[in-house]
Amino acid sequence: MTDVPPRQSPAPEEQAGGAADTGHNGGNGHSPVTVEFLSEWRNAAYNCYSSGHKFCREVCPVMQVTRNENHTPTAFHANVVAMEQGELTVEDVAEDYVNCTQCGACELRCPNTLFTGDFYRFRTRTVDLVKRMRALAVDNGVHQPGYQRWNELTDERSHEPVLGDTPVSQEHVRDWAGGLDIPIGGETVLFVDCEAAFYRTSLPRAVAQILRRAGYEFGLMTEQWCCGGPAAEMGYRDQARRFAEHNLADWRAAGVRRVLVLDPHDYITFTEDYPEFFGDDFDIEIVLVVELLAQLIAEGRLTPTVPIERTITYHDPCRLNKRKGVWQEPRQILGAIPGLTFHDVDRVTQWSYCSGAGAGLPIERPEIARKISENRMDEAAQLEVDTLVSACPWSERPLAEAGQDRAIDVVDIHELLAESLGIDVGGRTRA
Amino acid sequence: MTIAPELSDQVVSELADAVGGQHVLTSKTARYNRARVPAPFPVHRWAERVPDLVVMPASTEEVAEVMRIANAHRIPVVPRDGGTGLTDGAVPERRGIIVDVKRMNDVKAIDTDNRTCTVGAGINMLKLNEVLAPYGLLYPDDPASYPCSLVGGRIGTSGWSLIGSRYGHSRDLVLSFSFVLPTGRVIRVGDGGGPKVSKSSTGYQLKHLFMGHQGTLGIATEATLKLIPKPEAELSPFWAFPDYDSAHQCVQKLAHAGVATFAGAVLFDEWKVDYLRRDDEAYIPQPADVRALVCAVAYGNADEVRAGGKRFMRIARDAGARYLGDEISQGDWAARHDRYATPLHGRTRAGQVVPMSWHCEDSAINWTDLPQVRLEWHRIADDLRRRFDMFDDWGIFAYTSAATGVDYLTEIDIGIWEQELDDESWTAWVQAKKDIAEVAVRHGGSISACHGACRDGEVDLVPVELGGAFDVMLDVKRAVDPNNIMNPGKYLLDRAYETEVE
Ligand SMILES: Cc1cc2nc3c(=O)[nH]c(=O)nc-3n(C[C@H](O)[C@H](O)[C@H](O)COP(=O)(O)OP(=O)(O)OC[C@H]3O[C@@H](n4cnc5c(N)ncnc54)[C@H](O)[C@@H]3O)c2cc1C
Ligand code: SF4
Ligand code: SF4
Repeated sequence: MTDVPPRQSPAPEEQAGGAADTGHNGGNGHSPVTVEFLSEWRNAAYNCYSSGHKFCREVCPVMQVTRNENHTPTAFHANVVAMEQGELTVEDVAEDYVNCTQCGACELRCPNTLFTGDFYRFRTRTVDLVKRMRALAVDNGVHQPGYQRWNELTDERSHEPVLGDTPVSQEHVRDWAGGLDIPIGGETVLFVDCEAAFYRTSLPRAVAQILRRAGYEFGLMTEQWCCGGPAAEMGYRDQARRFAEHNLADWRAAGVRRVLVLDPHDYITFTEDYPEFFGDDFDIEIVLVVELLAQLIAEGRLTPTVPIERTITYHDPCRLNKRKGVWQEPRQILGAIPGLTFHDVDRVTQWSYCSGAGAGLPIERPEIARKISENRMDEAAQLEVDTLVSACPWSERPLAEAGQDRAIDVVDIHELLAESLGIDVGGRTRA
Repeated sequence: MTIAPELSDQVVSELADAVGGQHVLTSKTARYNRARVPAPFPVHRWAERVPDLVVMPASTEEVAEVMRIANAHRIPVVPRDGGTGLTDGAVPERRGIIVDVKRMNDVKAIDTDNRTCTVGAGINMLKLNEVLAPYGLLYPDDPASYPCSLVGGRIGTSGWSLIGSRYGHSRDLVLSFSFVLPTGRVIRVGDGGGPKVSKSSTGYQLKHLFMGHQGTLGIATEATLKLIPKPEAELSPFWAFPDYDSAHQCVQKLAHAGVATFAGAVLFDEWKVDYLRRDDEAYIPQPADVRALVCAVAYGNADEVRAGGKRFMRIARDAGARYLGDEISQGDWAARHDRYATPLHGRTRAGQVVPMSWHCEDSAINWTDLPQVRLEWHRIADDLRRRFDMFDDWGIFAYTSAATGVDYLTEIDIGIWEQELDDESWTAWVQAKKDIAEVAVRHGGSISACHGACRDGEVDLVPVELGGAFDVMLDVKRAVDPNNIMNPGKYLLDRAYETEVE
């Protein structure tokens, strides 16, 4: 028997040296928002700092490329301690925090999450820290030029500038659905992220037609804006919130109860950021399309029959596998498609894989992002596959580019399923 | 004595020419984040440990060029690899240049016929073993820091492996390496001249000398390693005992049994069991009459491991042990071994939970002296805790270092509440480390079996432990590093230059 019943142990914020005891920071010339941030993050930062053991290093996709200790969770936490000690300022540290895709691998590999997590309900929250530090920088007027421009353009156009110089706009956000006669509004709507709506239009077309085949009713939003997640990831929290408010108002006005999400990034935004913004008022059900499709297949409402002769591997999108623990359903879908030869790599091994596309890394550090994509495709190439299947539109563009040199096609799982259901998807991937 | 001059623009541009401008890091974060390792640290004195800049070379030639520049300008150089070392080896004492070798992490060759591989010093063992897996091979250097320490750091510390009693430690597994001397000259050191030789009698045996020096003699850049077939099976039975003495007897009987698959045994003392009960959620709760634990580990071919396991079970039963069952045995070994985690929190005297840093003592002690050393160490920890309510005694592990049971890596773990450290408590802590080292030396052991002994406190005892051999160390240091640029301030090696200071 333990003589300390686990559930009676104090939560971290009740520990000695907690937020109430602001200890040594005493201002140190920091702005009031910074002082508040430091008192909020102080104990979490020390939890890592006092360990400092770097079990998180080798699993990190950025670190695998740069090998630069500045880009580790260890450093991300230690900087907070150094700021609290008055050794570093937000200006000193801000730029380092661009070197993260917010993939979540380091949190899974951190022993403090694995063990202390159960006992003290403490979890190493590196992703959250990176987001907060980026926001703190913005709040202090410290901007990364790429992020700043991206979010300005997003603000102007209400969508991310995913087509580069070709503008994206509200008038075109539903163009992907041309000819499909999808109604506007209804209890259930399909939310299509910017990359899929403007760049990979074949993906939402596949999803829409599969759902229709299964007799699953849904509509589109009256006026869909970007989910706001990218702004939140890059530190532009006010903008993120404005976008969230817009979308929520749109849902409310149409009487929406349920939102279908085909993009893992949106899924994070709607299940983590929106509840944080709106608290208990946020009562919209969020449904991940991959999970829904696996269920429809299991229920016999969808039966893929057209054999697909490909030798594939599956890329676990970080935000599904590492951040949400969703890894079974995509494999169930792939298992139902006839003709495939599947060289799977288990989800734990894939903790150290990433497409490089997350959290704005390609905006500020395209060369690192590209190298991460190449590393991922090198892993695939070793399996001697002709196709890599992903379930995340943001991963598919960079992985496809890296796949070209290795003669590996990158295919979206929804599109693959549509093909096996005999659906001629239409739409395109814009080159 | 070398004091870092302000690094002139001239030096910075020479370094940029050597390694490429983007691999010379001068930002404050680059420097602050290479000023510490996981060992407890006087946070309020962080600024004292910060280097002037960091270089991240990509090849032996680049390292050599950096050394030539540093030597010409008399600038301190501190090698840094994983930064997991627990004796502050990779932390600069005199500013200067951190040579961070993590970019040198490629697998250059795998020789399946002779079972070796050649790698850059910045590679991690877990990552290397992912590459070796398709060949059915394993590099068995397996410290508790297996997922985070790197081959160059293993050479710099001459590390200790959890399964070293069967497969050897870093010194046995690293066959040879390229080594950049402080002058910039590159040599290959190993067992003999050929890079893949495991036993040679040609000339002086320099390999030992250039391992475990904590970066005070130069920088290893590329290493050739010995590989084993990936073990088919591993077994890790745990047994409980009503008292320490019977556990202590049992662990040695296991070591003495001569079982070929024996890869190590671990003894947990009463304080350790108490601590695990109190604060380690990975620990599977045991009845209160359990006072000490023993674990034995066997690795190898499945049939041989099975046969050895039966013998272990018999020995332990005869020694009065109670087997804890398969689930606990596998779970606890996996936890301790794959992701070594002391819980990294402890308690104040009043029982309040606080985040604590971990001091891991690592003396080499003979089996006969373990019971007494343990009592003396706990007295030191207890005294510290009574005076400063920021230390916590997390108990002692003792691990076999060799298959014969001659000596044990003996580890008292002490939690330190870093947030509260001040000069007075830090000074008391340094004294306690010295006292702990003194006990080890007095009992005929060694201060360090794996991390090295160059932290404040323990380092004072190094000349006592080594006697005349320490004087030879000084001679060697002066001969190899005439300008004392390599990691100056470590291991009292400044004494090698004292006559020249005047
Ligand atoms: C949780 C945890 C568990 C641990 N368990 C063990 C264990 O079981 N066994 C064990 O032996 N250790 C253990 N350690 C200590 C540590 O991991 C080892 O000392 C390891 O060998 C250090 O490797 P590193 O790559 O992190 O080196 P670093 O910390 O970067 O460097 C260690 C020393 O080597 C020098 N050095 C680094 N690179 C080179 C180079 N290329 N050439 C020459 N010198 C160099 C440095 O200057 C420094 O003095 C543990 C540490 C932690 C945090
Ligand atoms: S994030 Fe976790 S694994 Fe990484 S250094 Fe911090 S405590 Fe250790
Ligand atoms: S979230 Fe991913 S990219 Fe960011 S530090 Fe952790 S492992 Fe690295």
